[in-house]
Order: sequence, then C-alpha cells, then structure tokens
Amino acid sequence: MKIVIVGNGMAGTLAAKTVRELDQEAGIEVFGEEKYAYYPRPNLIEFLAGRLPYEKLFAFPEIWSTRQRIGLHFGERVARIRPDERIVETGTGGIFPYDALLLASGARAAVPPLTGSGLKGVFVLRTLDDALAILDRLRTHARVAVLGGGLLGLEIARAMRDRGAEVSVVEIFDRLLPRQLDPAAAGILKHQIEKTGISVRLGAVSREILGAAEVRGIRFESGDEVEADLVVIAAGVKPELALAKDAGLTVERGIVVDDSLRTSRPEIFAAGDAAEHRGRVYGIIPASFEQARAAAHNMLGMDMPYSGTVPSNTLKVAGLYVTSAGEVNPEARGHEVLVRSVPETGLYKKIVLKEGRLVGAIWMGTKKGASEIGRFVALKKDVEIRKGDLLEDTFDFAEMS
Amino acid sequence: MEKWECQACGYVYDPAVGDPSNGVAPGAKFEDLPDSWVCPQCGVGKELFSKVD
Repeated sequence: MKIVIVGNGMAGTLAAKTVRELDQEAGIEVFGEEKYAYYPRPNLIEFLAGRLPYEKLFAFPEIWSTRQRIGLHFGERVARIRPDERIVETGTGGIFPYDALLLASGARAAVPPLTGSGLKGVFVLRTLDDALAILDRLRTHARVAVLGGGLLGLEIARAMRDRGAEVSVVEIFDRLLPRQLDPAAAGILKHQIEKTGISVRLGAVSREILGAAEVRGIRFESGDEVEADLVVIAAGVKPELALAKDAGLTVERGIVVDDSLRTSRPEIFAAGDAAEHRGRVYGIIPASFEQARAAAHNMLGMDMPYSGTVPSNTLKVAGLYVTSAGEVNPEARGHEVLVRSVPETGLYKKIVLKEGRLVGAIWMGTKKGASEIGRFVALKKDVEIRKGDLLEDTFDFAEMS
Repeated sequence: MEKWECQACGYVYDPAVGDPSNGVAPGAKFEDLPDSWVCPQCGVGKELFSKVD
C-alpha cells in the first residue's frame, strides 16, 4: 500500500501519523511546499508576539524520524497529478506512485485586489516565512495597520501590540468578528480591545494602500487616511485548488469530498482547509483533524464516515475569552434567543435554541462553562427544562452532562 | 483532578488517562508535565492550554 500526502500542515501531518499508527507496512510520502518541518500554525501568532522562541515552533520531530519510515519532501512542490497512472510528479521531476492520494494542500491568504498591495511593507500571515518577514520589518517600522477584524486579524493586532507597536485594526464590516459574534457582543469586545491601546476602525472600506516604493498608509473610500509603515492583510483564505482542478477533480469553493473524504476519484482524498464537505469549506482546526483522521482510515480501507464539524472557537483577545459555537445569528424563524450581559466586565452570554435544542452560543468574558457549551451545541442538546438557569454563572454543567 | 484543553485543536488532557503516546503515565497532573511536552494531537505547547472548569 503506497500513500502519498500533499501538504505537511495540520491535516497532512495528522493523516501521516494516523496511517502509521494503523498500518506499520504502508509506504508514506509527504510533500510540503514550505521548506520547514511541521509546525502547528497557531504557533505563528505566539512566535510573532515573542512568546515562543523559534526552536519551539516545531513539533513531533519523532514522527519524522527514520524509525517511522515516513518519506519527507519539505520544500518540494507537487507539480502535477497523473490520475490515470496513479502518479504524482514533483517540481524537480520526481515521480511517486500511489494507491491512495490525500490532498491536504490547505489554503493561501486571500489578497483583495487593492492598489498598492504589492508595496514593500505589506504582508499576509500564513507561513513561517511570512512571520519572519513581518518581524524583520517590525524592527525598524512600528506603525502597524491590520486589514481585517476577524480572528486572525485580531490575533495579529494583539501580537504586534505586545511587541510595542502602534496598531490599528481596520474592518470593512460594521463590527468585529462578524462571523462569530452578534452586534452587542462585538461592541463589548471592541471596547475591551481599545483598552489595550489598539485603535479600531469599523465600516472602513480601503480604497488603496499608499506609498511609492514602500507603504506609508491606507486611504479609505470615505477619503480618510491612516498612516502605517507596516500593513498586514488578514482578509481570509482561499483554498489551494490548482492541483485538483488540473487533475480533473470536481471543485467548487473547495475540493468536493463525500462522507468518506473521497473526491470525485475514489482513490484520491482531500482533507483540511482545501476540502469542501456538504457544501462547507471549514478552515478551522477541529474540522481539519476530524477529516484527516477519517481520511487516513478510509485510505487504508477501514470505514470511518465523517458527517461534519460544528464550528466552535475559543480565543483570548485583550484578556477576554471569546467562545462562539454553531448558529449565533439565526436568520430563519423559529429560534429562541436568551442573553445575559454585563458590559462593564466584558461578560456576554447568549444561547440560541430551536425546538428546545441548543443550536448556537456565544460565551464571552468567561472560560467557565465555555467548552461545555460548545460541546452541548455540537450535540444539539435538549436544554428546554434548564434554559432559564443555563446563563447563570453558578450553573453546574456537570448536572446535565 | 483538573482537565486542561488545547485552545488550538480542542484536545483535552485528562490526568486520569495521562498521555501514554508520550510516556506520561495516568495520574500525572498537567502542571507537572515537562515544559517540552506538546499537545499530542496538534503539537502546540502547554501555554496554549487552559483549564477546563
């Protein structure tokens, strides 16, 4: 059994680990476009903030040891799949046959078509090389603008602020974390972020990035300008689809897979940020892991179905825990919404119920009950009889588990 | 005993189970794991874990 994995990010790495645990004999070849060994992507933020030294970025050196017999090709791009021959071809001319192929090629940072996005001093943050380039610039340029008030944008802003930079966050939407929060919660979060010295500009549509050779600021549609000599664009990601398209696989927003993570060719699988399952491209770590684990089993002929992941995120911004799970801004009728809010302390709790079952929640300003509420949403737990107590700080989730 | 959750990937360290894949025997408290210990699922360090309460 020969298995080829394209991508050495979280999905590709977990798939390789899982295949080896399940099957001591299978041949495993892993190709990564970055020249580095596996590192968990969240470490880039810790590294950027100065909380994690370079040598601690990397993880699992032992799974890459010769003892595990995993063939490693870092910095080697797969140029082409030849599906009829079941072969991949690398950029340097290498030829690798496979019985099962996993596309865990991930995503790239999306860069909106904005004049000036190619100027010196404008970055994205996706790879370790991106992080190194940002830190290099930051040594001599400390007025930072982050384009994008989503999860990644806020994490970058906080990291740059921790390094002592002057930081503005620019969000096109009229609130922060538009996908994870509702307007009330986003307002509380904004206030907390501003207290750390980060300035927040909402509803700001960038017209162009200003500068001759190097960036000097951003001009908005309103005509306003903000000065900046380091700009980080955090405008979401785009799944990496080129190989799949070229191989004739079915591709929509991502590489389309079924419940066994198979693409439109049964011996080719996809998992992680590049995969589209039941119309969804998740781009979140728990989904990558569940997909990678299931794909590893299915590639070895061990049936493991995947039926989807309930989005749930916990992050800490400006000292505030933010958890968001499931449907937090229900658009359809027939939902019941309960809220408890203490703006002065940053506390905001919201639950969304459908026919007595929990389908969404926001838990902000506290860690207590956060993972439990996320799990309840994942299970669509029936909470009808306790819904009045659920938002109380004293509620004991153990009673209901 | 206290469980700790990985904020990156959701893995939960349960002292009752330990982390046998990395030679951590059942009964080891999270606080007592060495600084070199990383999440067995995604590989981030202890600093990205928070207590489940």
